[in-house]
Parts: sequence; structure tokens; C-alpha cells
Amino acid sequence: MGPQLSWYLALSAVLFTIGAVGVIVKRNVIAMFMCIELMLNAVNLSFVAFSSFFQDVTGQLFVFIVMTVAAAEAAVGLGIIITIFRNRESLDVDDASILKL
Amino acid sequence: MSTLLFIIFAGMAIGCAIAMVSQSNPLYSAISLIGVFISLASIYVTLAAPFIAAVQVIVYAGAIMVLVIFVIMLLNVEHSEPRRKRLKFLVPMAIGMAAILLAETVFILRSVQTTENHLARNLSDVGLTHSIGEGLFTRYLLPFELTSVLLLMAIVGAMSLARRTSILSATARVVPGAQVLAMDIVNPSGVQDLRPVETETSEEAAHLLGVDFKSDHRELE
Repeated sequence: MGPQLSWYLALSAVLFTIGAVGVIVKRNVIAMFMCIELMLNAVNLSFVAFSSFFQDVTGQLFVFIVMTVAAAEAAVGLGIIITIFRNRESLDVDDASILKL
Repeated sequence: MSTLLFIIFAGMAIGCAIAMVSQSNPLYSAISLIGVFISLASIYVTLAAPFIAAVQVIVYAGAIMVLVIFVIMLLNVEHSEPRRKRLKFLVPMAIGMAAILLAETVFILRSVQTTENHLARNLSDVGLTHSIGEGLFTRYLLPFELTSVLLLMAIVGAMSLARRTSILSATARVVPGAQVLAMDIVNPSGVQDLRPVETETSEEAAHLLGVDFKSDHRELE
């Protein structure tokens, strides 16, 4: 008996939960950014699991597009982080809670 | 055998994810996140999706994490300040939300568990590069092209965000020697008086413009 579909879904849910907890608990903006990446990966895992179990390639195409969006998000997000650090000299999200400088 | 592999890699993924959240140094949590990506890529291989596994290693563990580690080292913030008082309620809130999410997981597991669903072991081409390329360029051509537009937008956005802006406008140049500066460059608030200001030296011009000539000069050399 090999691993069943629900095992992969459970692993995906656990990883997503850890990522969500990290986004809430962390204060460093780069750490929050990495937790968001972890949540994206958890969803990717459930896509690939469904795709393999139902023998349909659509799920893997979605994963491909999600990875592209994650790469674009990394580029723009890190640019924003560098700009915030230049303007406020801090990476704490609470220091950037006000739009005005 | 496949069960054993799943348990090993799932344990690695969860362990690295917990280590990532519990670390206070962002560099260590980045390295733990690379561990999560690698173990997820191994799980993709056991799910007969070699193309996605390769892309996971190349794009996530390669490109994105190198970018993240580069930014961490560029900003070089290692000291962690003490937690502020008003943030105390966030930890119980995180525990509550995690409990809700895990309860949903248990519910889904109980309803899915009734249907027997094993991984089909027949050798189909789903997951190979051929089938993914065929899907991307026939049925899902429009999302593929939209993704390329998105990447172009991300390039332009990242460049315009990371560009260092100075006091002078992008077209202004301080050149050595005697020069004539327009009044609206020297003082933008007095634009109605457009008489030019004449200066003899670069130091004088730099003083009028409010920039540090000496450091700029040194950077140029």
C-alpha cells in the first residue's frame, strides 16, 4: 500500500498552517516574506498530488504558473523591502505601519 | 518503499518548516526554507512529476532563495529588538487560527479517507516535459502569455523601485568648470523667476544645489 492522496493533502495543510502562523507571529518583513513562499509551496504540493492521482496534467501547469508568479513577487517584494529599509532604517513591520514617513 | 520515502521527506519538510518559523536569525530561516523546498522537490519526484521537481529546485531553491539571501546580507540586520507590549495578543491569535486550520484538515481527512485512492502506477506521460509543454502551448496558451507580461511588469517595477533617487532630477549633471544653472533647478519653489544663476566653480554649484561635492567627486574617481 503506497501513500494515499489524503496524506499529501495533510502534509500540504500542515505546511500551510506553519506558514500562516509564521506570517502572524514574525515581525521581520523578510521572514514574513519567506513564510508566504512556504504557503505558496504548500498549495503547490496539493496541486501536484491531485494532478498525479487523477492523471491530469492541468494541476502541474498551474504549479508552473504559480512558480512564475512567486518569482515576480520575489523581485518586486524584495525591491519594496529595500526601499522600506532605506526610508526607515528598520525591517520591523510595525515601523512601517504608517504610510506617512 | 514509497510510504517510507513519503514519511522521510514529509518529516524533513515539516521539521525544516518549524525550524524556519522558530529561528530568529533570518539567514538561518532562509536556509531551513531551502530544506523545505528540496524535500518538496523529492516528494514531487515520488509523485511522478520530474519536470516540476526540477523547476522547484532551479527556480525556488536556486533563483528566489539566492535573491532572498542576497537581500538579507545586503541589509545586514541581525540584532533582534525586544518584543513590544502591544504585540502580545498575536501569539494566542496565531495558535487559535492554527487550531482552526488543523481542525479543517482533520475534517477533510475523515471525509476523504473513505474513498480508496491509490496512485496510478501505469506509465502515463503525465508530468513529463512533453505533456507539460503540450498543455502550455495549446490549451493554456493565454495564461502562459499573460505570465510573460506579468514577468515584464515585475522587471520594470523592481527596477523603478530599487533605483536610488537623489536630490537632483535625473537629467541634472554637475560638471567641473564655470557653468550656468537655471533658477528652477536651484530653487524649484521660485519658478516664476527664471533668470539663470552663474557660478565659477563646481564647489559653488554644488553648494547652491545642496549636494556634497567632495564625496560625489570621490565616488566618480
